[in-house]
Amino acid sequence: MGTLNIMVGQAQGNVPVTILRVEGDIDAATHKSLQDKAAEVVEGGATHILLDLGAVNYMGSAGFRAIHAMTNMLSDEASSELSKSPYLKLLNPTEAVARVIKTLGFDVYLDIYQDRDEAVGSF
Amino acid sequence: MAKGQVFDLSVKASLENLQKIRQYIDHAGELLGVSESALGDLRLVVDEAVTNVILHGYGELEGTVELHMEGEDDAVTIRIRDRAETFNPSQVKKPQLDTALKDRPFGGMGIFLIKKMTDEAEFLPIPGGGNEIRLVKRGAILPK
Repeated sequence: MGTLNIMVGQAQGNVPVTILRVEGDIDAATHKSLQDKAAEVVEGGATHILLDLGAVNYMGSAGFRAIHAMTNMLSDEASSELSKSPYLKLLNPTEAVARVIKTLGFDVYLDIYQDRDEAVGSF
Repeated sequence: MAKGQVFDLSVKASLENLQKIRQYIDHAGELLGVSESALGDLRLVVDEAVTNVILHGYGELEGTVELHMEGEDDAVTIRIRDRAETFNPSQVKKPQLDTALKDRPFGGMGIFLIKKMTDEAEFLPIPGGGNEIRLVKRGAILPK
C-alpha cells in the first residue's frame, strides 16, 4: 500500500505561511492523511497554507477532495465568489498533476507557483 | 500493427491495491509503447474507475477486480470487470466547474475525468451480475 509522507514547515510572507510538503501518491487510500494533517495544522493556528506537490507523482480526484476540504477549512464563511483562495496555494505540481488540476477547473480557485519564495511572498 | 500483447491482472477490490494497479498500467503501457502523456491519462482513469468499483460498487462487500489491457494499432483498450451491483454512471452528477469551490459539492470528479481523458468509455452490465468498464484511448501508442 502506498504511503504519504507529509512534512510541515514554516515560512514568513506578509503573513506566516505553513508549508505542507507531500511525498508519494495521493489516491483514495492516502488522501485522508493529507486532509487530517491539514486539519491538525489549522487547529494549531495555521491560516495560510502552501501545498508543495513537487514530490507527488500521482494525484487523482481523491487528492482534489482533500484540497477542496482544505479550502473549506481555511476560507471565511462570507467568501462565496468564484475567485482564487488567498489562504491556500499550490507549489510545483508535476506536469501530469497540473493537467488534472486544469481539467477539474481547480486552477480557477488556486494560484499555482513554481518558485517557493515567490509563492511564500504572495501570501 | 495487428493486435499485440495483452496484460491481465486480478486483485482484491481494496483501496490498498490502487498503487499496484497503477504499477500494472505503467508496466503494461511501457511494453506496449504508450506515450508518457497517454500513460498518465490511463493511470488516472483506471485509478478512478477502480476506486468507484471499490467504494460505490462493492462498498462494504469483498470482491475482486479484473483488468485487461491490450494495444491495437495506436489504441489502448482497457477492460475492468467486477461482480458488484450494476452501476449506472448517468446517475452521477457532473462536477460544477463554474461554481465557487465553497459551494461546489464533493464528488462526480472521477466519472468526469474518465469521460474527459478517454475516447470511449462504456459502462456495461455483465449478464448474470457485475459490470464491465471498457475504456479506449486512441493515439496512445507511439509509432515504432
